[in-house]
Amino acid sequence: MVIAAASSPAFLPRGELDRLLDLLHDDGRTVIGPMARDGAIVYDEIRSAADLPVGWTDEQAPGRYRLRQVDSPRQFNFTVGPQGWKRFTQPPRVPLGTATRDGVKVEFETATPEPRRLAFLGVRACEIAALLVQDRVLAAGPFADDDFRARRANALVVAMQCTRAVSTCFCTSMGTGPEVTDGYDLALTELDDGFVIKAGSQEGERLLGKLAPGKADEAQQASVADGVAACRASMADQGVAAEGLPARLMDRLDNPRWMEVADRCLACANCTMVCPTCFCTSVGNVSDLDGAINHTERRWDSCFNGDFARVAGGNFRPRRQDRYRQWLTHKFATWHEQFGTSGCVGCGRCIAWCPVGIDVREELAAIAPPYEEPAAPPTPAPIRGAMLDGLSPLPMVSYSPAVSQPAPLRADSSVATVRAVAPETADTFMLWIEPRDAALLQASPGQFVMVDQPGFSPVPISISRVADGALWLTVRAAGAATQAFTSLEPGAQVGLRGPLGRGWPIDRALGRDVVIVAGGIGLAPLRPTIDAVLAQRDRFGQVLLAYGARTPGDRLYLKELDAWANAGVEVAQIVDRAGPEWLGQVGVVTQVLDRRDWHGRDAVAFVCGPERMMQATVSALRTAGITRRRIFVSMERHMDCGIGICGHCQIGPFFVCRDGPVFAVAELGDLFGREGV
Amino acid sequence: MSIERSVATELGTGWFGAGLSPHALTRLADCASTRTYATGDVLMREGDDTHPFGIVSSGRVALRLLVPERGAITILTVEPGDLVGWSALVAPYRATSTAVAVEPTGLLEFDVPALRRVLREDPPLAATVYPRILEAVARRLGATRHQLLDLYTQQAEHVPW
Repeated sequence: MVIAAASSPAFLPRGELDRLLDLLHDDGRTVIGPMARDGAIVYDEIRSAADLPVGWTDEQAPGRYRLRQVDSPRQFNFTVGPQGWKRFTQPPRVPLGTATRDGVKVEFETATPEPRRLAFLGVRACEIAALLVQDRVLAAGPFADDDFRARRANALVVAMQCTRAVSTCFCTSMGTGPEVTDGYDLALTELDDGFVIKAGSQEGERLLGKLAPGKADEAQQASVADGVAACRASMADQGVAAEGLPARLMDRLDNPRWMEVADRCLACANCTMVCPTCFCTSVGNVSDLDGAINHTERRWDSCFNGDFARVAGGNFRPRRQDRYRQWLTHKFATWHEQFGTSGCVGCGRCIAWCPVGIDVREELAAIAPPYEEPAAPPTPAPIRGAMLDGLSPLPMVSYSPAVSQPAPLRADSSVATVRAVAPETADTFMLWIEPRDAALLQASPGQFVMVDQPGFSPVPISISRVADGALWLTVRAAGAATQAFTSLEPGAQVGLRGPLGRGWPIDRALGRDVVIVAGGIGLAPLRPTIDAVLAQRDRFGQVLLAYGARTPGDRLYLKELDAWANAGVEVAQIVDRAGPEWLGQVGVVTQVLDRRDWHGRDAVAFVCGPERMMQATVSALRTAGITRRRIFVSMERHMDCGIGICGHCQIGPFFVCRDGPVFAVAELGDLFGREGV
Repeated sequence: MSIERSVATELGTGWFGAGLSPHALTRLADCASTRTYATGDVLMREGDDTHPFGIVSSGRVALRLLVPERGAITILTVEPGDLVGWSALVAPYRATSTAVAVEPTGLLEFDVPALRRVLREDPPLAATVYPRILEAVARRLGATRHQLLDLYTQQAEHVPW
């Protein structure tokens, strides 16, 4: 789309700016540009150059933003206001679709993006960088968001190079400005009497051809160069030490400064709202009163919000220091691993619009200062999470060496019909469900589906069996959506999306002993693994299932536990407490492992349960000699979208829904069992 | 005698006796014997001042606490290799729970007064035995803490799902 400019710079006198706007309007574009409103520069529709904020300039400092009138003919004599262009590329509310319910029948219709043709006027270098970051996040991953792509493809970028900076600007240290070098159709630089203009794309060339401005003379070109250079120079002492920052920051997860900054932070989420790259969203529902028509929409969310990392069993980031650390480490460190770039472009909005004036530059300098020479990380160096090669799961039915192609990630639900709902224990039940989309039956052990009922938030549920053209889902009735499942009658319909996530790498256990450790409802995602092992029992060594439950009555799959024992699985059950009628083991599941006289040299372990139980189990398994590369855990986090774009389920560099939920413990490194990640 | 030898051998094969010197094994074996309990036999009752101490060699012993209105609650089962009755060696030497064999159970059982006397008279022996007792109790404490967390229960919170 964007090509290097071939033409030499031209000059557009200030009075002719309306000709450019007319050209854009003639192309059917709505021009969005800066205007002074409510005491700030905001981006809104510009009908003519008269709408531009002539004579206004800005002053910015931590917790401070002021507009000031100066005696200047300039129309772009300010830096960035509170809004980024993401308001137009990834608006605060985006319709996702409509779910209708007619008796037991449901239908899902995905919204079709219908973006307006826009022209963004006055896009700063840091803001172009932000658009390019958004491209990577929302359009270049395993899931590409149609709505974003359509909006982005329909927006023309008219850039404005900066010739002044404010105290909050630090684009130079993030390598994003002030020079506009890429990602634009037209680039302007404002002088007192007009604009030096150049094209950066074919569309820009075409527009420039129609505009036919005269050439910029040498003095004008020198003014541009001097202005931009002065701007750059003015930021020399107000940056961050970006080189090596990701590693330094992740080395300092325990810095006491996180607590200090959390004392000041209000968790108001302002920084994430004004950040041009923050992309986290949640899915919301708007229903009519009888629940027949339900519109789902994606809404901006923030990792500072209290419920952001909440799951049915609790909250993974209950403290503000957890949430501040998540935001800062994501933005400046793990973003690199996820998207190959920093999440910060140096626009400084989060500094100016923080109501208590927290300055990320100051926090970064305090938390993760450059190492003193000779460069040395603290010892022992923390182990950082990273994906291991060769852990891709294979389909449930065969272990053919040909790696299966993962199905493309989809955002739309397909209809599935309930065969039965049956109670399993006092608070869990089995949802037996037949999907219309056969791809769902290709699920690997450990994968999950999003179950969608009109009027409720979609619920991630792990698949506890695939058999006979249907999925078995074991569900704990936790809240409104899961409670509603219990009243579904045979024949009722729900929506299903999946199979999602990375499951258990059963192929890694071929020819080895298999240790399966389940806690509570954690047995559900492990059952397909047991099914798969039993289907080819002779291809594995000894198989142990250690199953811990709260009480004997809380155990799942009672009949199957016996059947597995008869089919060549050593089944050890242990409960936390029991009455005198229970003659089995009482205690915790790790005691089953501790009491065995064994060596795990040839074993692979699959573990699922509450994270604290998995930590204790991993410790017991490592004591028995199983390395962290051969211990796999299924992590729980708040999964809202299931496809890695909503941001809720992150652990360090991982999106649990997409990169997990199953991880080798070695992949998680020190993040496993760490508080507040 | 052959029975004593088998007691010493059995003592030496489990984790408790592993690494003990021949002298220590002999002295301990001198005050130990094998004993079996039938299903339902009560090894000790909570609060008993005198009660057995031993190492489970087979079977299963349930440790129970009586909770009025809830009945006897099994809080732990003692499995082969585990110690039972460690409180016989630690003041106030009172049983901390009721221990019931829930299966036919074999025990390598110590003569508690004799064992206490030996440990009193032979400090080097005591210095190797008590850490093992402490290790067993510490493991049990660790497990109890995990049980306390009641990890498998659902937090009573409002959730949208």
